[in-house]
Amino acid sequence: MIKLAMRLLRQRPGTSIATLVALAGGVMILMSLAVFVQSGLQFKPEPKQFAAADVVVAHRHITVSTKEFDGETTTSEVPLPEGTVPAGLADQIRALPGVTDVQAVGVQGGRASAIAIKAPAGTHAAIDKLATEAGVESYAGDERGWAEWSTSIEARSLLVEAGSAFGGYVVLLIVFVVAGTVGLSVRHRRRDLALLRAVAATPSQVRRLVVAEAAVVGLASAVIGVPAGLWATHWTHDQMVARGFLPADFPIVNPALGAVVAIALTMGVAVLAARIAARRVARIRPAEALGEIAVEPPKGGRIRLAFGLLTLAGAGVSVFFAAGLSGTAALAAAIGMLYLFVMAIALLAPWVNGFAARVLAPVLRTVWGVSGDLAVANLRANAKGMSAVLSALVLSVGFGGSVWFLQDNLQRQTVAQSRDGMLADRVVTAPRGLTAASVAKVRQIPGVEAATGVRRTSVVVRIFDGAEPAVARAADPAQLASTMDLKVREGSLAGLTDGTIAVSALQASSSSWKVGDTADMWLADGTPVKPRVVAIYDRGLGFGDVLLPQSGGTYDELLVRTRGNADQPLAAFGTVTTAGQLTGQLSRDLAVSAWLNKLLITVMVGYAALAAGNTMVMAALARSRELALLRLAGVTRRQVRRMVNAEQVGLLGTALTVGAAIAAATLIAVVHALTGTFLPYIPPLGWVIVLGGTTALALVTTILPVSRLLRTPPVRAAGTKE
Amino acid sequence: MNDMLAVRVEGLTRTYTTDGQPVTALAGVDAAFARGTFTAVMGPSGSGKSTLLQTAAGLDRPSSGRVWVGDTELSKLSETKLTELRRDRIGFVFQSFNLIGALTVEENILLPSKLSGEKPDWHWLGSVIERVGLTNRLTHRPAQLSGGQQQRVAIARALAVRPDVVFADEPTGALDTETAAEVLALLRSMVDEFGQTVVMVTHDPVAASYADRVLVLADGRIVRDLPQVGAEKIAEVLATRWKA
Repeated sequence: MIKLAMRLLRQRPGTSIATLVALAGGVMILMSLAVFVQSGLQFKPEPKQFAAADVVVAHRHITVSTKEFDGETTTSEVPLPEGTVPAGLADQIRALPGVTDVQAVGVQGGRASAIAIKAPAGTHAAIDKLATEAGVESYAGDERGWAEWSTSIEARSLLVEAGSAFGGYVVLLIVFVVAGTVGLSVRHRRRDLALLRAVAATPSQVRRLVVAEAAVVGLASAVIGVPAGLWATHWTHDQMVARGFLPADFPIVNPALGAVVAIALTMGVAVLAARIAARRVARIRPAEALGEIAVEPPKGGRIRLAFGLLTLAGAGVSVFFAAGLSGTAALAAAIGMLYLFVMAIALLAPWVNGFAARVLAPVLRTVWGVSGDLAVANLRANAKGMSAVLSALVLSVGFGGSVWFLQDNLQRQTVAQSRDGMLADRVVTAPRGLTAASVAKVRQIPGVEAATGVRRTSVVVRIFDGAEPAVARAADPAQLASTMDLKVREGSLAGLTDGTIAVSALQASSSSWKVGDTADMWLADGTPVKPRVVAIYDRGLGFGDVLLPQSGGTYDELLVRTRGNADQPLAAFGTVTTAGQLTGQLSRDLAVSAWLNKLLITVMVGYAALAAGNTMVMAALARSRELALLRLAGVTRRQVRRMVNAEQVGLLGTALTVGAAIAAATLIAVVHALTGTFLPYIPPLGWVIVLGGTTALALVTTILPVSRLLRTPPVRAAGTKE
Repeated sequence: MNDMLAVRVEGLTRTYTTDGQPVTALAGVDAAFARGTFTAVMGPSGSGKSTLLQTAAGLDRPSSGRVWVGDTELSKLSETKLTELRRDRIGFVFQSFNLIGALTVEENILLPSKLSGEKPDWHWLGSVIERVGLTNRLTHRPAQLSGGQQQRVAIARALAVRPDVVFADEPTGALDTETAAEVLALLRSMVDEFGQTVVMVTHDPVAASYADRVLVLADGRIVRDLPQVGAEKIAEVLATRWKA
């Protein structure tokens, strides 16, 4: 059976190459992703600072337990970048029998950043007990590395988080593409398979044959996909190191397991898709197949229509659902909505194509004349055959349009908010920070109208299903109103004193806080606090989601509002930059941090576009006989070309319209949730890329293959089998 | 069951639904095909001749009525059993698209026995291949052969398993007159020399004149059952209008 499968594959290199490319691409992407996620999961930080200690007591994460609706308790661990331990704990540990040396590190105001201990193994349990009682952790042996806050630990979280967030979508996308491509390749060979059924092959033999073909192509794709995956892993690694996402010495695991996982997953999907496609072919009565083969099979069944309409209805409802939500929940809902829409279109594609052919008929006829007429007939007749093309195109346009532009919108909003909200015109920074005393001195400088010390920090807040870190600023409330405008929508910043906070509208809805509520949260050092919410503001993207009052201590930067003549005296306190420069720096920083997201989005959109192109080449090359017959019937080469152009305009027009509508719905829902505006920003270059990219795709994948087909004399092509 | 009959059909009807309208292709057909005979099935377009062939060959299932191939009744067979019966006991020659393009002539001929997993009868195969004149073409691909040669490969494949009956659906429909004559002579000699049974659907009176017997269908019924009478007589009979 395998031998026969390979012979059949060789007969149709076009179709098998398309499947091969889709599968190899899937192996490559999944493999890189798997290697990075596995590297993150298996990462064990090397103890450096505490290499000489036996046990380290530190506070690096907090455990939050949440009661679910069904009464079950789930716990989640949230990392704590600035966690501290009580300095007094050192004395208690020193008192334990057997402990030889105890050193508290980074002591400040009764808290230490860590305690390093030299003690024999027998005492570790007692140390751990003391640490647990104090609400912190002890790290011994291999675990000591976790007690040191390092860029590697940050990189690890990034790999695991980005990997798991995108991994699911990538897997879904690959399932979608591989299933579509394999299905189409089986469809193009219906005639061969029907003949086999008629003369000799039982339904189960046809199924085995098709599955064997998929398996052979799957194995071949692994041969290409694994080296490509190795290259992609190396390239991504180097890029991440160069951009500071990953320390150069971060250990990357052996890619073998990743390769195996990627191959197994891709093969599994290919074989399953082949089985489903083969079932359809095997179920046809052979006589029916022989008669029907030249004609497109009728549109999909009623079940497909019903499922399609149901999915579409679900997607429609989810628009309102997503628009009603806000914060992170809205973001998740929007991505789910995007997939629902694409799935609905994939299911309804035969009807969408048929409908589009009817609607576009007058336009195509007017512009392309006879060729347009033929194009309309083809679009209508091949409504089902073209559904894979439509789905792939809608997927790439819808996906690219929403996710990529969402990133742009976020960056733009962040910069806009921090620019509009910045009332100060100078920013002073110093390497060791600025003390409250310095702030007081700055306020005395002639020409300074107001000065606010700001410390950048983070807090851990409760959200509906656990806890997550939030970006926070601790600021001196005294002259706050003169240096920044957070666009308060409820409450007032005048009430911002000890024991209170102000939060962004986004955070307020994620955590369901209102003005006057008590917020349940932890400070960056792990201290649990329950401040009262006094104000809710709009500019969370620009100024952080939580604003804490801080009078005293050290600040990271000083926002100064001047009359423009205080630069010289200010320079005595540190580096002076203008607020404009600060905004410029911010957008550069954002561009760097957005790089990883954009890379992941590019990979996904690229893969979806590859799938669309693949499908279109397959569909175009399968038309040699049909085009030859047209030419024998007297249609000139030029008319055939014009007909193909008209078809492409019809198909791409439909795909662009549907894809853009889906992208717009998703984008509006998310942008509204995050920023409150209903009008998303689309960069002009974005339009050019989407429209130009789709046109280029159509040109390369259909018009060029068709031109090649047209070079063969029609008599010869008409004789060849489809 | 009569050992002399290769195929027998009884009370065969077949209705289709096209655009919600029921269409009757066969309206009750009884016929028997004796071993070692060559029968031509004729009739105007839409008379049900192809449907008769497909239901008798187990390619399609009748709406009612029964079909015997040898002493096996087809209506009780599962799709897999039916395929096995077609593979082992029925040969097919279609108008076109008979061959798998990826396989050589030899592989195409051996395809049924390969899929059944049974050892081919090399002695028999050798004589069939020699008779159809393909000895020098066994390693060629179908695309390298002329239309007549392709039909001869199809005939060889149909005979490879020594079937009870060979069904041919317009086997010369895509060929020129001269090549068609060669193919028909070949089918005739299969009956005369190898004792095979051939049932052939055709609309060409000349093609039908190679048969021992001509069945004429109109509106899904047999309206004439003639012994071999020559092409001119057949054409004359066909020209008559039949009342259903």
